[in-house]
Amino acid sequence: MQTHLSRLLEDDEFVVTAEVGPPHGADEQLLVHRVIQVKDYCDALNLTDNVRGIPTMSSMVCSHFVRDCGVEPVMQMSARDRNRILFESELYGAYALGIRNVCFMTGDHSLLGSHPEAKMVYDLDSIQALQLASHLMSGKDLAGDELEGTPHFYLGATFNPYADPLELQAWRVNKKHEAGARFFQTQAIYGITRFEKFMGCLDVNAIKILVGIIPLKGPRMARFMNRKIPGIKIPESMIQRLVDAGDGLSGNEKRGAVRSEGIRIALETIEKVRAINGVDGVHIMGVGWEESIPTLVEEAGLYPRPKKGE
Amino acid sequence: MMELKNKEDILEMLEGYGKIVLFGDSGCAQMCDVGGILQLEDMTDFLTDHGKDVLGYVFVEGGLCDEFATKQELENHKEMLEKADAFLVQACGVATQNLTEMIPEKISLPAVDSDFLGTMPERFHHDERCSMCGECVLHLTGGICPITRCAKGLLNGPCGGSMDGMCERDEDTECAWQLIYDRLKEIDKLDNIKRIWEMKDWSKEHGPKTVVHEAKDALFQ
Ligand code: SF4
Ligand code: SF4
Repeated sequence: MQTHLSRLLEDDEFVVTAEVGPPHGADEQLLVHRVIQVKDYCDALNLTDNVRGIPTMSSMVCSHFVRDCGVEPVMQMSARDRNRILFESELYGAYALGIRNVCFMTGDHSLLGSHPEAKMVYDLDSIQALQLASHLMSGKDLAGDELEGTPHFYLGATFNPYADPLELQAWRVNKKHEAGARFFQTQAIYGITRFEKFMGCLDVNAIKILVGIIPLKGPRMARFMNRKIPGIKIPESMIQRLVDAGDGLSGNEKRGAVRSEGIRIALETIEKVRAINGVDGVHIMGVGWEESIPTLVEEAGLYPRPKKGE
Repeated sequence: MMELKNKEDILEMLEGYGKIVLFGDSGCAQMCDVGGILQLEDMTDFLTDHGKDVLGYVFVEGGLCDEFATKQELENHKEMLEKADAFLVQACGVATQNLTEMIPEKISLPAVDSDFLGTMPERFHHDERCSMCGECVLHLTGGICPITRCAKGLLNGPCGGSMDGMCERDEDTECAWQLIYDRLKEIDKLDNIKRIWEMKDWSKEHGPKTVVHEAKDALFQ
């Protein structure tokens, strides 16, 4: 399946994807507003799927609105909330809506979010979900029944270089590739050493890798992420830089200084990962700070983006 | 509630192991006709016919889930256990995991598929070990159940939240896939998890279930 994203990746363009959070409610205008802010600064836009088990507008519906705004969506699908029946049904619907890039993930444990009482599904894991999507592209469903319209997707998955055990996590990347994943998005990268080591364990020529970047708004956010977001490891030295940047300042001035430092850290990270063999682009996650995305893309020298042709 | 796996599967999982010790108990294992004295003897004959050297069996009065009673029996059979290449456990997944934890230097293999849990005795401390999924995979995971002990029940784990041996769910829960990885490394069986595990047939797990025992006159009909 050729998509704008896949074409750029195959042409060895250094790709920029971004991520916007769907609204915590029914206001699609909020989404459209966020999309307009970042649409010219990325090649494709990820729609997250109930991150941490906190309910947000459906990633499929948001992907549809994103397309209407003239950007190619990457629809995320988590295995936490779906069984194989819903996966199949939603994949049919997504394809019919013109959604072509799909990215599968395990999904955070619901105990970490706002609805800990929920019953999790995990009928399939992310690898098996990829297998299922690949299987549907053969024109048959899991029961072997002929499909009324065969979907074709460009499939992706995620990996977290900081998760343990490293060797097994690297094998999982291979398994995901074998199951059909062509592109990979990583968890947000801060410390480079472990990431380099992880990359050394992968067959980087076989897959496309987009490095996750989350610009830090300040030390509080960094500490919160270390504590609350599974698989994130922000080095203490980086948090100290953010603290130092605001030293002696107050109010808006302090805010501005700390945020600029956060942008600087992210820019340094982009520069460092660009130099690593096998990195094909960056995946910038705004997590509530979408305005940072245009700044980052421009200052990293990644603007303007290639034209979105058909 | 449990049933013996079919004989091909049992022989396959015992491949490469010559000296076998069987385990059964007078509790659930006997009540389900999988690990009573009769079935242990049937299994001895069956395995002997297929070229295995069955050193004997350990039969626990009560249940293999009772650590105290089991430890005592293990003590009584110390010499025989030391000679064994593998243990074949004709009792539930809890029993196989108990033995794996008590004698980690040996391999404990499940002879049965645990289907569902009937009752459990009241105790002061219980750790969940088996969800009776109806299609036991402990032989692939080094005797640690991913379905029950991974907070997400993943089959191709670990997820991206596994760090420093602990689960993303809370700091007190060990990551089952880290445990499985360590264990498989120890027994040189990492290949078991290098390949993709296909989608699981959960239909074997769904309740409500009913089983009516009929008198069985031989193992593996
Ligand atoms: S795989 Fe786990 S849940 Fe299934 S029977 Fe074995 S121990 Fe029980
Ligand atoms: S951290 Fe380990 S035990 Fe916890 S959900 Fe992930 S794989 Fe399962």
